[in-house]
Amino acid sequence: MIDLRFDRVSKRYRIRHEDSAPTRNPLKRVLKRLRAHTEDFWAVRDVSFEVRRGEALGIIGHNGAGKSTILKLLSNITTPTSGEIMINGRLAALIEVGSGFHPELTGRENIFLSGSILGMKRHEIEAKLDQIVDFAGVNEFLDTPVKRYSSGMYLRLGFAIAAHLDADVLLLDEVLAVGDANFQSKCLQRVRELRESGKTIVFISHDLGAVERLCDRALLMERGRLIAEGSPDEVIREYQRKTADLAALTGRKSDVTSGAEIVSISFHNEKGDSVSSLQTGDALIVKVRYRVHREPVESSVEVFFYTPEGELASQLFTSKNVFAERSEGCVEFYCPELGLSPGIYLIDTTIDKDWKFRCASFRVDPGKRFRGRFYMPHTWRFVEEMEEATNERIFARS
Amino acid sequence: MASSNALNPGGIGGSVASGEGKRRVKIIRAPSLSLRELWQSVRALVEYRDLFYTLSAHRIKVRYKQSRLGFAWAIVQPFALMLIYTLIFSIVTRMPSEGTPYAVFAYAALLPWTSFSNALTSGTNSLVSHSHLVTKVYFPREILPATYVVASLFDLAVGSSVLALMMLYYKIVPTVLILWAVPIITVMTVFTLGVTLILSALQVYFRDIGMAMPLLMQLWLFASPVVYPLSAVPAWLYPVYVLNPMVGVTENFRRVILQGMAPDLRALAVAAIVSAVLLPASYILFKRLEATLADVV
Repeated sequence: MIDLRFDRVSKRYRIRHEDSAPTRNPLKRVLKRLRAHTEDFWAVRDVSFEVRRGEALGIIGHNGAGKSTILKLLSNITTPTSGEIMINGRLAALIEVGSGFHPELTGRENIFLSGSILGMKRHEIEAKLDQIVDFAGVNEFLDTPVKRYSSGMYLRLGFAIAAHLDADVLLLDEVLAVGDANFQSKCLQRVRELRESGKTIVFISHDLGAVERLCDRALLMERGRLIAEGSPDEVIREYQRKTADLAALTGRKSDVTSGAEIVSISFHNEKGDSVSSLQTGDALIVKVRYRVHREPVESSVEVFFYTPEGELASQLFTSKNVFAERSEGCVEFYCPELGLSPGIYLIDTTIDKDWKFRCASFRVDPGKRFRGRFYMPHTWRFVEEMEEATNERIFARS
Repeated sequence: MASSNALNPGGIGGSVASGEGKRRVKIIRAPSLSLRELWQSVRALVEYRDLFYTLSAHRIKVRYKQSRLGFAWAIVQPFALMLIYTLIFSIVTRMPSEGTPYAVFAYAALLPWTSFSNALTSGTNSLVSHSHLVTKVYFPREILPATYVVASLFDLAVGSSVLALMMLYYKIVPTVLILWAVPIITVMTVFTLGVTLILSALQVYFRDIGMAMPLLMQLWLFASPVVYPLSAVPAWLYPVYVLNPMVGVTENFRRVILQGMAPDLRALAVAAIVSAVLLPASYILFKRLEATLADVV
């Protein structure tokens, strides 16, 4: 039973370009505006796939790969340029929760407003009002204008409404990233419940771990095209490989003469086996081999971990070291507990003036449970009363 | 195609059982101008009627929620205009008002006029001002401009109470002809809806429309018999003048309520025909533009 079908769907956006050369003459400016030429951009190109009833499909890819366009096409916010989309049953999108809220209206009024914008009938909302309010935990504030809500309450109410839609097909964006830890696990729990009750789910996310946990199947998008399809772990591995390829393509050779160069970089687990992925909380060993051409070189060796969005997540580096003779060598970084959150990281590494740009990729899988941006290595124990007393004394003294 | 829902007991956690036993298959493809698609749009609109009610009520509630005068604003606006025009046209210059006091004469026509003008001005901007919704959730977009038309009808009803008081004050007794007000307001609603739909969609692509709006409304006001009677229009101009549907609305509204005169049937017929043609045409155009609305807004 097919609940959802994309049949050779393409979506073209027209981007208007204006001549950027500035001109003072207002008449010329108007003419220029009228003459602005357009350029075609295919956000989604010839994409076909199917989702069976009760299946959870994940769609992954870089920013701009066409994921959000697929979401918009599915939710009918925009229409395809060509091709056909078939949806069997009622579809609800849990994207950008709370976007239908009006600040002046009370929580209750907004539940009705937002619910009806999402396609619920009045009697359905009435029937689910208590559930929604309970889920969001805003009982006491039901008759307060939502502009007085905290941002957390706002998001919780938004998600609660969307999560109680009586839909057959559910679209999930990065919505699970809202609210505090407690609420996040509640959201995940709700999605799992919905899955188990046989809803068809399409999940679009950067969170590869979540895709792996929630989905039965995954699609990989790249520049508007569907390039891989299969089980989540296969597709995620492919994504990782592609990311590395992409990095190799954009990697540039340093043109400044450097006194030393990086020969290779490799990642290892605690046993010393070479790995391409580890779990959060595992021990990580990074080995960087280098060669010194010209002595003396004074430099540190550094390893950068970038997210696919180009944000520096973390960095490893040695102190400045003087390499007195021509040599080859190896630096070994040891991280007893990997703190990076699950996802793909692109690696830069550098010595002296040699900068290897995005020369490798490394995947972090969900391991140690944590919430927030990164895992903070820690241990814990319950302390005896006696000990506590001594500690207090120590604190008091310092 | 549509299958039974038996395998899928409508949700969990004590949710209500799904009302529809069958799933509806929805096909989304590139926009085209087929009758079938138009029929589908109308059906979708029926499906979303609850949203239409909720949003219309919301429109009315929100508009007055934060203002001190609240609902009184529905009266203040036409009333203030009436005072201004009375000052100019019955004290500064003498405008014929066909035997009724000028104040009530002007107010009776200003009522439908302000309703029309408010609906058009705010409705035209509705898609742009709700871009946060339009780009994130799907619902039939025509609901947005339409709710402004409903809200303006509400204003008309509130404003009418003042007209009743004024008529009481001037001891004007309405005749049975007042029943004509129903078809007149119906024609006005259909016309307003037609114009608002088309302009709201075009406004997304050409913001110039919103810019030109105040000017257009000013011109349109003076091209309609609001501050002056239809009888003041020279006979040679009448055949052209009457093509403006608002002539048939404002003049006739005043005639049947205030003056106890039979409506100008020709003007009303023109207004009715124009509206009846305009609404479906503008709905079709709206639906065509709707397809790429979210990409542009």
